[in-house]
Amino acid sequence: MKVTILGAGPGGYVAALKAAQMGADVTVIEESEVGGTCLNWGCIPTKTLIASAEVLHKTRNAKSFGLELEGTISPNIEKIVERKNKVVGTQIKGIRGLFKSWGVNLVEGRGEIVGPKKIKVTNKEGSTTEIETDKIIIATGSKPAQIPVFPFDGERILSSDHAINPDSIPKSLLIVGAGVIGCEFAFIYKEFGSEVTMVEMMPNAVSTEDEEISAILERELKKNKIKLLKETSVEKVDVKGDGVSVQLSNGKTVEAEKVLVSIGRAVNSKNIGLEAVGVNTGQRGEIIVDSSMQTNVEGIYAIGDVVGGIMLAHLASTEGMAAAENAMGGNSKVNYDVVPAAIFTSPEIGSVGLREKQAAEKGLKYKVGRFQFRGLGKAHAMGEIVGLFKIIADQETDKILGAHIIGAHASDLIHEIALAMEKGLTVKDIAHTIHSHPTLAEGIMEAAEDVHDAAIHAPKK
Amino acid sequence: MYPDNLKYHKEHTWVKVSGNKATVGITFYAQESLGDIVYVDTPEMDSSVEAGTELTQIESTKATSSVISPVSGTVVEFNEDLGDSPEIINEDSYEKGWVAIIEVEDDSELEGLLDADEYEKYVEDEVKLK
Repeated sequence: MKVTILGAGPGGYVAALKAAQMGADVTVIEESEVGGTCLNWGCIPTKTLIASAEVLHKTRNAKSFGLELEGTISPNIEKIVERKNKVVGTQIKGIRGLFKSWGVNLVEGRGEIVGPKKIKVTNKEGSTTEIETDKIIIATGSKPAQIPVFPFDGERILSSDHAINPDSIPKSLLIVGAGVIGCEFAFIYKEFGSEVTMVEMMPNAVSTEDEEISAILERELKKNKIKLLKETSVEKVDVKGDGVSVQLSNGKTVEAEKVLVSIGRAVNSKNIGLEAVGVNTGQRGEIIVDSSMQTNVEGIYAIGDVVGGIMLAHLASTEGMAAAENAMGGNSKVNYDVVPAAIFTSPEIGSVGLREKQAAEKGLKYKVGRFQFRGLGKAHAMGEIVGLFKIIADQETDKILGAHIIGAHASDLIHEIALAMEKGLTVKDIAHTIHSHPTLAEGIMEAAEDVHDAAIHAPKK
Repeated sequence: MYPDNLKYHKEHTWVKVSGNKATVGITFYAQESLGDIVYVDTPEMDSSVEAGTELTQIESTKATSSVISPVSGTVVEFNEDLGDSPEIINEDSYEKGWVAIIEVEDDSELEGLLDADEYEKYVEDEVKLK
């Protein structure tokens, strides 16, 4: 069986390895670099920048840990980007090594479907080759969405692709869109020394999160002196010699050295030959797939950001594995009810399942358990007392409907609950599981106990 | 612990009125039960607040709590010193540790508040026993 995959991001490369493990003859076509947005412009680069920002933050607060610091500490952006590139480079080598190990054929160039079983690849030099295949998996991903009236120029108007490769730290940065990407960059650039203002159309920052979590994050933005203008939109942008003047819907004008536009991502479904084979797309260009990840054309699958929906690397990988299995004759489906998500703000956010508002809107009878990070000895020892564990459980079955954590290591902590949800465990199951002391994970146990008003380390209600 | 020249709200805030300006803070008991205060949120300037509702929030190492306004009016000033040094409230909750100034329209509300003796008795008899 020949399986050809368009795109080697976290969806495509995982699909490739899975198909290869199952015995397929696999070719992956990548226009840019293996690892896709996630590894080259997204998840990994931002996390390395955050790691630098965290060390900077901790060092600046050394005194509160009883440490005397002589001299000053300042970010060297060139070195920070160098470290980022090194980390990314290592991961790229890792993926290329895995391809080699499993016999995946990597073809570098831009792929275009020219027939149900044929793909044309154009390389950088412009020469073309044609690949015959049995099955196709489209994993072309997405790119930063831009506002047509002020497109990215990489100088004054930045996308996240530019923001991970700064050559200097702007004195002031205006971020349009206080979603996941905008908020992560806000904390990074603020720590590096920029004056940061965020403009958000919605009534909350990270509006895709539980409202209690958003509220706590907003306070942390405020504590960090990051200005957040909510329910505000950008009317006009004037790029001048030394900066950008941004006119807002509230009548005010904000001047900034640079503007980062983080209003979402647009799918990459153009010029890849969908029309040639009649693959159906939706209003935003997203490829429409069924529950087996197959498009309306038999033997052509699509996964990851390009199918719209939740744009998360790990979901793309999961879809990639399902598509690979199905291309090989299997019957795999993705469980979209349990998709953990992480936001690497300061502090982090981890979430899975329903938000409280969604549970209420669905008319579910639910109970909520909460526990504060400041109730944990470990959080105090670490000097990380801000945060909340929140578990939403079905009142009758005691099964978990959703969980939301904001606080140190929330992105790791959430997975205990994801597993519980995946396996249909109850809140009592978590509460009855011994959790090590002193750990942050104890907060999950306490929040689970609190669903039944029985958290040991919380006052009587 | 509870100065005589102040009026007290049962939600553990105090107020001192001078003309139409009411200075508001939290009581000794409040700061003591909160423990080390680590952050005081800035209330929105020129926003109106009702007596008995949240003026702003305070975070301590133990809890995040609402600061309940003892009077109704317009928030006109915030104690900016609390931004960098919220622990001032622990050190001096009545003078340097004031939280906000509220412009009041009707000072008859003050009559419904407790005086120092009444508040102290309230804390000893009702709050601490809970």
